[in-house]
Amino acid sequence: MGILKQLNSAPVYLICGGIIAFVAVLCVVFMVRAYRAGLAIGMDRTRMKRAITSSATFSLLPSVGILLGVIALSGSLGTPWPWLRLSVIGALHYETQVAQAAAEQVGMSTLSAAEMTPSGFATIALLMSVCIMWGMVLSVFFNKRYTRKLGAGSGNGGGGGFGDMAMTAMFIGLVSAYIGSYVGGFVSGGGMFAFAGDWTPLAVAGAACLAMAGFVYLSEKKGMAWLDSFSIAGSMIVGMAAAVAVGLVF
Amino acid sequence: MKEQTVFEKYNARTHVIGRVCSAVTLVLLLGAPFAIGGVLGAMPDLGAVGRAFLSVGLVWTVSSVVEFLVYTPMLGAGGGYLAFITGNLINMKIPCAVNARDIVGAKTGTPENEIISTLSIATSSLVTILVLALGVLLLAPLQPVLQSPVLRPAFDNVVPALFGAMAYRYYRKNMTIAVTPLVLMSVLFILVPSLSGSTSFMVIPSGGIAIAIAYLLYKKRRKEAAI
Repeated sequence: MGILKQLNSAPVYLICGGIIAFVAVLCVVFMVRAYRAGLAIGMDRTRMKRAITSSATFSLLPSVGILLGVIALSGSLGTPWPWLRLSVIGALHYETQVAQAAAEQVGMSTLSAAEMTPSGFATIALLMSVCIMWGMVLSVFFNKRYTRKLGAGSGNGGGGGFGDMAMTAMFIGLVSAYIGSYVGGFVSGGGMFAFAGDWTPLAVAGAACLAMAGFVYLSEKKGMAWLDSFSIAGSMIVGMAAAVAVGLVF
Repeated sequence: MKEQTVFEKYNARTHVIGRVCSAVTLVLLLGAPFAIGGVLGAMPDLGAVGRAFLSVGLVWTVSSVVEFLVYTPMLGAGGGYLAFITGNLINMKIPCAVNARDIVGAKTGTPENEIISTLSIATSSLVTILVLALGVLLLAPLQPVLQSPVLRPAFDNVVPALFGAMAYRYYRKNMTIAVTPLVLMSVLFILVPSLSGSTSFMVIPSGGIAIAIAYLLYKKRRKEAAI
C-alpha cells in the first residue's frame, strides 16, 4: 500500500476526527457556559447573539483559506493529519513552514509523498505537535495567575481606562506590522527600492479598506446598523475579488 | 453584588475546565503521532525530533511565549484557553474577538468582555471546524475549484484582505496612535525586506510603539481633564 493510501486510511481518519470532535464539543461547552453566564450577569441577549453572528460571518472566509492549507499539505502528509492540525492548535502560516523544516531534519530533500516513509511521517507529525504546543502549556500553568494579575492591574475589572486603550493600540500595532510588510514587499521585494515586488497584497488591503469605509458609511450615516456584523466578511470578499482582478489583468 | 459572585464562580470554573481540557488536548495531540505510527507500523524517531526541535522548534517556542503574554489580555480567561487550543490566532481568532468586542462595545477587563471574547472564539473555532470538515468531505469536487488559477490569488490574500478591512476600522478613530508604527514598520520592511518572513515577530515592537504612544496620549488627556 502506498504511503498516501496509508495516511488516508480509515483508522487515521478516526484518530484525527476523534480529536477534532472532542475540541468541537469543548467549543460548544465554552459557548453555552459563556452565554448562560452572560444572561446571569444581566447581559443583553441581542448583544450576545450579535457577537456570535459577527464572529461566524467573520470566520467564514479565513476558514476557506485555511482549508486551502489542508489541501496544500494533503499531497505530502495525507488529508487527516493536516485536517487535524489546522482545525486544532495549528496556524496556517506555521504548519507548512514547520512541516517543511521537519522533513529536512528527517533527511528528506523536500516535503513530498515520494520521499515520505511511515517513520518519517510519525517524526514530522510529532515535531509539528511539540513545536506549537507551548501556548497551551503556558495556559495550563499561568492563564489563571496572569488574567488575575491583569484584572487587579485594571482597577478590579472596571473597564475603560488605559487597559482598553492599550489593547486597541496593540491591535493597531499588529495591523501596522502586516501592512508595513506589504509596503516593504512591494517597494523592496524585487530589489532594494526597485518597486518591482508583489503589489497584490497591498492592492487587496487597499480594496478591503475602501470597502470597509463604504460599509461604515452605510452603517453609521444611512442607518443600516445591521450591516455592521457583515462588514468584515463583505470587505474581505471585495479585497479577495481585487486579488482575482489583479491576477486576471496583470 | 450577586452578579459579581455569579461571574466569579463562572470564572473560577472556567479555569478548572480550561486547564483540564487544555491538558487533555495536549495529551491527545502528542499521542496522535504515536497512535498513527502504530497504524503505519513505525514510531517517531525521538532523536530526530529532539535535533529538529533544537534547530527549528526553539523559534516557535519563543513565539508561543510571546503570543501567550501579548494575546491573553485581549482574549481573557475562557477565550485564552480556547484560542490556544484551536490555534490560528493572528490570522483569525484575535481579529475576530477584537471585532466582536468592538461591535457590542465591551470594555477590556470587564465581565462583558470575558463573555463576548469566549463566545467569539468558540463560534469562530466551530465555524473553522465545520468548514474544514465539509471541505475534507467534499475534497474531490472542491479541490479543482479552490485551486483554480483564477481563484488562487483570492485565497492567497485572505490575510491582507482581513487586515485591510481591520485597518480602516481601527485607524480612523486612532490616527495619532497608528501613524508612527505604520510608517516605522513600512520603512523597516523596505530597508530590510528579509524581515517579511518574521512579520509575526515584528508585531511586538510595532505593538510596543503603539502602546507607548497610546500611554502618552492617555496621560495628556488625563492632565487636560484635571485642569
